[in-house]
Amino acid sequence: MLKKSVFFVLVLLLAVSVIVPATLAEEPIKITVLNYFDLTSPGAERELNEVWYEFSVRNPHIIVEREDLFLDAFHQKTEAYAAADMLPDVIYMWPGGRSTSLHTLGLVKDLRPLLGEDAKYYKEAVLAPQAGGYLAQLPSTMTSSHALYVNVALLDSLGLSIPETYEELVAMVPVLKENGLDVILMGAQDDWVIQSCLFSMIVGRLVGDEKLNEILAGEAKFTDPEFVSALEFYAQMYEDGVLNRRIMQTDYAEVNGLFATGRAPFMIDGDWKVGNFLTDVTTGEALIPVDRQHEFKMTIFPAIPGEINKASSSGVVGVGFGMNAKIEAGSAKEAAAWELIKWLQGPEVQKMRLETAGTIPSRIDVTSDNIEPLVVERIRYYEDIAVTTEVLDNIFEGEVYTPINIGLQEIGLGFATPMEVAERTQEAFDAWFARKQQ
Amino acid sequence: MKRVIQWWTEERRAYLLLVLPAVAVYWAVMAFPTVFSFALSLTNYNGGPVFSNPNIKFVGFEHYLRMFRDQYFWISLKNNTLIILVSVFGQIPLGFLFAYVIHRKLVKFRGFFQTIIYLPCVISTIIVGRLWRSFFSPYGPFTEFMQKFQPGWENELFFDPKLAIVPVLFVILWMYTGTYMIIFLANLQKIDPALIEAARIDGATEWQVLTRIMLPSLSGVIVTASILAISGSLKSFDLLFAMTAGNPARRTSVLALYMYDTAFKHSPKYPLANAISVFMVMLSLVLILLVKLTEAKFGGRE
Repeated sequence: MLKKSVFFVLVLLLAVSVIVPATLAEEPIKITVLNYFDLTSPGAERELNEVWYEFSVRNPHIIVEREDLFLDAFHQKTEAYAAADMLPDVIYMWPGGRSTSLHTLGLVKDLRPLLGEDAKYYKEAVLAPQAGGYLAQLPSTMTSSHALYVNVALLDSLGLSIPETYEELVAMVPVLKENGLDVILMGAQDDWVIQSCLFSMIVGRLVGDEKLNEILAGEAKFTDPEFVSALEFYAQMYEDGVLNRRIMQTDYAEVNGLFATGRAPFMIDGDWKVGNFLTDVTTGEALIPVDRQHEFKMTIFPAIPGEINKASSSGVVGVGFGMNAKIEAGSAKEAAAWELIKWLQGPEVQKMRLETAGTIPSRIDVTSDNIEPLVVERIRYYEDIAVTTEVLDNIFEGEVYTPINIGLQEIGLGFATPMEVAERTQEAFDAWFARKQQ
Repeated sequence: MKRVIQWWTEERRAYLLLVLPAVAVYWAVMAFPTVFSFALSLTNYNGGPVFSNPNIKFVGFEHYLRMFRDQYFWISLKNNTLIILVSVFGQIPLGFLFAYVIHRKLVKFRGFFQTIIYLPCVISTIIVGRLWRSFFSPYGPFTEFMQKFQPGWENELFFDPKLAIVPVLFVILWMYTGTYMIIFLANLQKIDPALIEAARIDGATEWQVLTRIMLPSLSGVIVTASILAISGSLKSFDLLFAMTAGNPARRTSVLALYMYDTAFKHSPKYPLANAISVFMVMLSLVLILLVKLTEAKFGGRE
C-alpha cells in the first residue's frame, strides 16, 4: 500500500515538474531576418558562430529564422518583399542607396525611441537621420566608399612613391606600363562601382555637397559647369592612362586576387574591401598574409586640379538592421526584434566585425588587440580624410543615379560625352522631381 | 433537369476530373500572371498592396511609350534578336548536323562525341557563365592565349558595342547545341531504317536521303525545336547575368535582364517592368506563330 502511494506521489511530482515549467516558460517568439551575408568571406564562420548561434544560446525564447543573401540576390529579394508587403521582421539595410524605398515608404520603424538612453554608446554621427528623415536602421559602422589601396612594396621596387597630386600619378603611368603593370585596378563590371567608389569622391572634390544639395532642391542642375567638370575629369583619367577600360570587364571579386598578386600598385574600392584580404579562420589562409600586410597602405586619391575640397573622401554611415514597421509597438515581438538588433550592434558583435573585416565600430566602447595590420591600417586611413562628402547613390534616388552609373561606363568606353551623361541625368532628375512635387 | 443529367455524363466527369487540375495550375501560374501583369502595366502600381489601394491609377500605354523611347530597350531587343538567330539558325542546324553524323555512323567514337557535345547542358548555367567570364576576362586565359600569337594584344572584346555580345553568342551556341542534338538523335531513331535502306538500294545519295527523307520526316521536330529555341532565347537571363550582368554599359543586356534591372535594381519601376514582360510574351507569341506558319507552308509530314 505504501509502495503504491509512493509511486503515485512520484508520478505526480514528475507530472508537475514537466507541466509547470512548460506553462510558466515564455512562449517562443519567431523573428524572421533578411541578412546580407557573404558566406565565402574569411570571417563567415566566426559570424555564424559568434553572432547568430550565440544569440540563440543567450535568447532561447527567440527563434530566429534567417535568410542569408548576398549582392544582387539580396536586393532583388528585398524589393520583392517590399512590393508584396511581406518584409521580414528584421532586415539588413543601407542608410539610403538601394534601401531608399524602405526608408522613404516608411516600411521600417524609427528606432530612435527604442534606442533611448543607449544612444550614449554610439558615435553621434551614426545616429543622424537617414534617407527617410529618421533613424531607420542602427548602423554598425562608418563607411568610406572610396579608398586608394596602395601596394607600397611594388611602388618601392619601381623607385616610385605614393603620389600626392594627380599630376604625379599621371607621371607614373609610362613607368608602370613599361613594366607591364596596370595603374589602377577596379572591379567595375557592375555599374555601381565607379560611381560609388571613385566618381562620388571626384564630385566631392570638384562639386561639393552644397552644390549637390542645390541640385537636389531643384535650384541647380547636373548640366552646370561644376558637375560636368567632374565628369570631364573622370573622362580625362582614361585619356591620361590612369584608368584602363579593362576595369569595366573586371569582376568585383576578381580584382581582389589581381591586387594581392601585384598586377597594379593601386586599387580603388570602398574601405570594406579590406575584409577580403584578411585571414580566413577556417583555412588560416589570406589573400594578403599577415606578414605581407605591412606592404600595403590605404589612402585617399591624390589632389585633383581645381578641387574645392582638399583631402576629401566620399562616405556614409554604414549598414545596419531595421525593423518592420508593421510590428505592433510595445508587443513582445517588437521587444524580441529589438533585442536582436541591439545584439547585432552590440559590443561583442562589433568587436568580432572589427577583427574579421576591419569594420570601424559605430559604438564608442569597442576595441580589440586581436586585429591584423590591414585592419589597423583601415582605422589609420581615416586620419587621411579631412572632409567626408556624400556618395551619389546615397542622396539621389535610383532613378536619378542610374543614368550616372551607366553613363560613367559609357564615358569610359567612349559611347557618350560628359555633357550627354549630364543631360541624361538631369532629364531623369527632372522627371523624378516633377513627380515628387505632385 | 433532364438535359443537365444528360450533360453530366460519366465520360464528361472523368474528362473534367483529368483536365481541371492541369487547367487550374496553368491558369494560376501562367495565364493569370500574364493577364495580371498586362493589367498592372497599364497602371502606376509600384509596390505595396495591389487591391483596394487608392493610389493606383490607370495610365494607359504610358509605360509602353516610355519603354520604346529608352535606348537600352532597343539594345536589349537587338541582343535578343541575335540570340534568337543564333539559336534557330545556329544551334538547331548544328544540333541536327551532329545528330545526323552520329546517327548515320559517319564518325567513330560516337558515344564520346555525343557526351562531349551534350556535357555543357548538364552543368549549372551560373557556373558556365562564371567560367566563361573568367575565360574572357582581360586577365584570363583567352587574353593570354591571344598574346602568345600577338604580343601586347588588348582584350577589347566587350568594348565595341557591335562585338560585345559575340562572346555571349558563342557560349550560347556551345552550351545549348547539345540539347537539340539529343532531340534530333531521339527522333532520327524513330525513322524506319528500311525506308533509308530502300532509298539507298534505289540509288539515292546521302544528300538525297537527308533532304528527301530525313528532313521532311523531322519537320515537326524542327518546329518544336524552334519554339523551344525562341522561347528559351527570349527568356535568356541566367547565363548573361552570370557572365556579364548586361554590362559594360548595358551593351550585353537582353530583355529579361532589362526587365530585371528595371524591376529590382536601384529604385524599382514595376509598371515599366510589367510592360517589358508583356512585350516579351507578345514577341514570343508572334515568333512562334511565324514558325508555325512556316511549317504549315514548307513543312513535310512525319
